[in-house]
Amino acid sequence: MTDTATPAIRVSGLRRSYGAGAEAFEAVRGVDLTVETGTVTALLGTNGAGKTSTLEVIEGLARPDAGSVRVLGLDPVADRDGVRRRTGVLLQHSGFSGDLTVLETVRLWTGLVSGARPAEDALDLLDLAGRAGVRVSSLSGGERRRLDLACTLLGTPEVVLLDEPTTGLDPESRRDVWRLVRGLRDRGATVLLTTHYLDEAEALADRLEILHEGRIVRSGTTAEIVAGHPSTVSFRTPAGSLPAFGPRLDVVRVVEERGRTTIETEELQPLLTQLLGWADRHGVRLDGLSASTPSLESVFLAIADDRTEALR
Amino acid sequence: MTTTTTPPTTTPTTTPLGRTLALARVNALLMTRNRLTLFYGVVLPLAPLLFLLSAPRGDEAAGAQAATTVVLFALIFPVYYNVLSLVVTRRDELVLKRLRTGETRDSEQLLAIALPGCAVALVVSVLAVAVGAALGQPLPVNPLLHVVGVLAACGLFATLAVWTAAWTRNAEAAQLTSMPVILLAALGSMRSAPFPDAVARLVDLTPGAAVDMLVRLTWYGEHPDGGTTGLAGTWAAALPPLAVLVAWAGLALWLARRSLRWEPRA
Repeated sequence: MTDTATPAIRVSGLRRSYGAGAEAFEAVRGVDLTVETGTVTALLGTNGAGKTSTLEVIEGLARPDAGSVRVLGLDPVADRDGVRRRTGVLLQHSGFSGDLTVLETVRLWTGLVSGARPAEDALDLLDLAGRAGVRVSSLSGGERRRLDLACTLLGTPEVVLLDEPTTGLDPESRRDVWRLVRGLRDRGATVLLTTHYLDEAEALADRLEILHEGRIVRSGTTAEIVAGHPSTVSFRTPAGSLPAFGPRLDVVRVVEERGRTTIETEELQPLLTQLLGWADRHGVRLDGLSASTPSLESVFLAIADDRTEALR
Repeated sequence: MTTTTTPPTTTPTTTPLGRTLALARVNALLMTRNRLTLFYGVVLPLAPLLFLLSAPRGDEAAGAQAATTVVLFALIFPVYYNVLSLVVTRRDELVLKRLRTGETRDSEQLLAIALPGCAVALVVSVLAVAVGAALGQPLPVNPLLHVVGVLAACGLFATLAVWTAAWTRNAEAAQLTSMPVILLAALGSMRSAPFPDAVARLVDLTPGAAVDMLVRLTWYGEHPDGGTTGLAGTWAAALPPLAVLVAWAGLALWLARRSLRWEPRA
């Protein structure tokens, strides 16, 4: 019964606005997104890029102003019951009654989720068994997030939507969540998560979608996204007048800023060879020399700073 | 339409009733955990039972007045004010939004919030009959209609609470935003005051007046138009006040559906 032709999530031409008239703000401006079954996709973006606004429509919490959303081939609003039974959602902010204990909260949710595992198992899964009798109001931020995840994964959701699952978690808890997400994929579930941690996106996702000002501006694997972006070599700008630096092979541009020279190039190795040969020949000392291939971070920051055209 | 994977057919699915009861049970538990909700949800509606004590033994006029007050208190505090503050608090805590991501439907959430308060109101109005009887008051002429009237009023006041919550900014603001409905209910209970005819006719159309009429009719057999009636006469006489409650409920439902928010204002 596996039909790989139907992606787990398909979003096309999605638009979503807030407010009306002169105060209207369009947060999502034509998003197309496909998440194949059994994969992990990370929706990356700065604050206000439209990540949560997009996710809320996929979750069925909001209706799109334009475009369409299909989850497991179904409309999350019109086919609500069918979709909800098969999806698990984690909102950006947890929502629990502080006066209930951890166990009471999960017990409540076992009555609300089809095919829920026993509450005790869910607590074990997220390492909360030792906190079962504690009121939710006394939990740390990280514990509350884990409780939230326990509720999200109470059934056996085929599609899991996680809005900033690790924000506010300590590094150890973050790794635990990563393990869980990988575990979800291993059992064939599809995961769409938002994050503004680049390392998280790189570590977890098969595919990245970078959202900027309500549009998807880059998609693909990390390698695909950084392809075509220059490597950089930088060093402290040596004092005094310098001998001319030979034929500038494939140099995209040179920036001198606050006593540091940065060279952007498409061909890192030949440029480094040239640069080091030149320095050697002329006895120039390159303090603080560093060379780096394009990273998700450099591309992401360029997008966030609206420098994309300059980098292209 | 093909789907990617089919959940095992053995997976038990939740039902609307099961979900509503699971939530209602927890809402009742939470009501007892918070001292403030425990006070106005359980203690305050019991207090007017003391009015029955103050009525001279067997004084039916004073008894009817006290009985009306008991039922109105039970509608205003555990139902109206309790539901209002729960909806506002749960909305601000993002509990409502979190639950909306799951299988639970919006109507189930609201019903589950209203149920514990409505149960308190029902218990209090039945308790009032027992306390009244012990103090020499008559038993209700039409007990079934008494319960029906209380349930209809519960539905109305719970719906009014959801509507009020729509334009109540936070739990503190509820102390103020609840006043119009509470005053409306109180106004109706003053039917016996010497209003001019035109005003009296309007007062009779308020929810409080409808409750007042229903309690007096179903318990003491007081016909809304004056005089008394036996069991047979209560059915027809109850229709106008019940219609008033249903009309108000319809209006409140329409208003609530238009304006309800599920998360705090950004």
